[in-house]
Amino acid sequence: MQDPKSGVKSQTQRLVITTIPHAITGEDIVAWIVNRFKIDATEARAMGTMMVAFGYIYPLQDHKRLILKPDTSLYRFQTPYFWPAQQWPVEDTDYAIYLAKRNIRKKGMLELYEQEQYNSLYKWMNHKWDFIVMQAKEQYRAGKERKKPDRVVFDCQERAYWVVHRPPVRNIWTEYRPYGQFKPRVKSSVSIGAIVKYATTYKEHDPLLHSCLPSNPWLTDDLVLIKHLIKVECWTFSFGELLMDPRGRADFRLFLKKEFSGENLAFWEACEDLKWGAAETMKEKAQQIYKTFLARGAPRWINIDGKTMDITVKGLAHPHCYVLDAAQTHIYMLMKKDSYGRYLKSPVFKETQRKAIAPEPHRFTRRPSLSPIILRQQEEEQKAKLAASGPVDITQLCRFTAPVPHLAVYTGICEAQSTASPGLMTLPNSAACPSPISVAIDSTPASERRFDGNGGPSSSHFPSIAEASVSEEENQTPALKSRMTLSLSRLLRRGCNGPSVFASLSPKCAVVSGGGKVQPLGVEPLAQPQPRRIANFFQIKVDIPPECRIYPIDSEDEEDDSPNAARGGVKEIICPWETVTKKDGAG
Amino acid sequence: MPLCNNKVADDGTSAQPLQEGKALVDSLIKVVACYRHLASCVGGCTDNSSLRRDLQQTRERAQTLALSCRNHLTARLRDKTLAEAERKETELLWVAFSSCLELLHADMCKVFTMVKHFSLANNSAMVQTGIQGGTTEVAARALSLPDLQGAGDGSQTSSMEGQEQSQLEQEIAQVDRTLEDMELKVNVLRWSVEALGPQYADPVSTDSASLALLSIDEEAAQGFCRRSQMFAVMMLCGVAIFAMVLSVCVVFLV
Repeated sequence: MQDPKSGVKSQTQRLVITTIPHAITGEDIVAWIVNRFKIDATEARAMGTMMVAFGYIYPLQDHKRLILKPDTSLYRFQTPYFWPAQQWPVEDTDYAIYLAKRNIRKKGMLELYEQEQYNSLYKWMNHKWDFIVMQAKEQYRAGKERKKPDRVVFDCQERAYWVVHRPPVRNIWTEYRPYGQFKPRVKSSVSIGAIVKYATTYKEHDPLLHSCLPSNPWLTDDLVLIKHLIKVECWTFSFGELLMDPRGRADFRLFLKKEFSGENLAFWEACEDLKWGAAETMKEKAQQIYKTFLARGAPRWINIDGKTMDITVKGLAHPHCYVLDAAQTHIYMLMKKDSYGRYLKSPVFKETQRKAIAPEPHRFTRRPSLSPIILRQQEEEQKAKLAASGPVDITQLCRFTAPVPHLAVYTGICEAQSTASPGLMTLPNSAACPSPISVAIDSTPASERRFDGNGGPSSSHFPSIAEASVSEEENQTPALKSRMTLSLSRLLRRGCNGPSVFASLSPKCAVVSGGGKVQPLGVEPLAQPQPRRIANFFQIKVDIPPECRIYPIDSEDEEDDSPNAARGGVKEIICPWETVTKKDGAG
Repeated sequence: MPLCNNKVADDGTSAQPLQEGKALVDSLIKVVACYRHLASCVGGCTDNSSLRRDLQQTRERAQTLALSCRNHLTARLRDKTLAEAERKETELLWVAFSSCLELLHADMCKVFTMVKHFSLANNSAMVQTGIQGGTTEVAARALSLPDLQGAGDGSQTSSMEGQEQSQLEQEIAQVDRTLEDMELKVNVLRWSVEALGPQYADPVSTDSASLALLSIDEEAAQGFCRRSQMFAVMMLCGVAIFAMVLSVCVVFLV
């Protein structure tokens, strides 16, 4: 690059009275890179900027911005001593010496960030400080021995080196801010003051800062809607707190009703709904609000001043979701200044305070909360129960309709089965609670019964899964829907082992709809005593068809001897990640 | 030869060694500073055999100084009869000495690596850094000699370079060992040492010329100059008005 003939054209930098050679312009650099590497200008520019950013070339003007400007701005090569190529550690001692040197040269020349760093270095390198100062002086004096231009060059080199390795903090931000907009800056003392105030006020009340209440949303899923004393105390902190808490808002509403000024809160809530609600109904909502609250002679007329009313009415000509903002703020302030104070002193609030209970701290047990799947099942159960309040269907027959609480999900094991089938390994991590798998499995007796009743498959013998599946495929073409549940049961019945189940499951999933032949992979007669774990694992995630009930463990003894459980092959296996109704062959 | 502040009257044995130690450390610091200046030129366009020679000589000097410094300080710190205040001062010197040695070690390693890449034989590979002058003055300062003897031989053969490199390697290893020894022999708790000097070093001299050159790019504090100028102008005006008033009065009276 330095080649006088084919390299970058070298120029001289002219300072006041001296000239320093070996300066190169940005555009020359870019042109040279384009030529040399046969790339286009933007890429060359990027490459050049990288070189500058790493510190191989440093700019002579505007030295803090390490970019390559493709114009006549000058650059120079950095001396190898300061190259980053060898990856020598950048020592803080050196930095301290450098800063001290600059300070020696001219007092107060350090910039703010440099000043800060200097001070912090002074603090933690205090023991070396005499040395640092002395070394700085000596280096400065030694530098004086050199010729003036060389001194300048050396200073530039060192400065460039430190701009690379200790970049000025603020400048980087201004450089990379895309829109050039400066966010309004808050003094950290102000923001910290706000944090401190929040922490002191909410010390006892914030679920994160304090030990948890029973309904700590950070920790549990269940929502306990008891009015806790602590929560009630929160309402006294600010009006916003009161409104945010739904119980608080309800209480406040009660109070306002007594005072006959409930329309304010209703208006405020309507505005909130307008702001955060669905956008398509926004116009209608706005009109509705106007008719109800703002229009002259409206049923729930709110009292806002004329100016705000004017603005609002004008805005309503072209409504958007924030059109009622001014009025809402006005009403909010009104409530805050007027009603809130009275509320806090009111008998309603006092009653609430009296009734609020002091919560006990949460005693964590190892039981997790109900999983969404179980919850959904329960919902469906409820729905079905309501719907099918007619004759008892055998499918609905369920001796134990109460949902089993505390079901651990995804344990993937069936401890229930292990007792039933001799030779089955006792599965590890059998939780104390019955796994839903077992519970789910226990649902199969019902379906079993059903399908047995329907004259299900004739096979009464349970060969190994491999043989069974082979034989099954050849024999049967069952109807699809019944297949699902049937295969469920089959799946559970089999003393299937892990690998072959996996192997067989995946291809079989593909033919859920087809009902065609599926070759199970890795078919070999496998010993029965294999954990049903995997099967159960798969079982768990399936959306259990609504007819199946969740049974507790007891009904398991109705199941047949499961050791030879592979009664017939399973043609369609419901992949756990598929819902029952999906029929396409997505494996 | 160490720069010693030889007092004419010997005021106690304790002051002398302390001063001696301080002088030793000061000179070591000076030499290391010069070495750094020299090292920054390696690989640049002024890199030539004289620079290398300067480097070598400076290095040797630094090492001899370091050795004598170490002996001196170790002896003092091992001396159990040392007074507390003096022990503190000696510890300060010790910390300064070890940091200095670390700096020297780092510089030597850097020079070693650079010399490997930038061989003198291949002059065109040197980076054009804009440095024009030589560094003989710096070396002279380091060696405390008024001037150096001649330019030495013109070019170095590669064998000489290799020899130099191996020598440099040895020297680096030696400094390494010295540092290790220091840590083992004398137990100075660095964090217990407190600096006595000021946080900000006083300006050595107002070097306005090079300052001006550099500050062309940097924004100088213009406001202050203007303010002072304005003030001067106003003063002048005030004086002029006063003079006019006086003359008018004189004319009037007369």
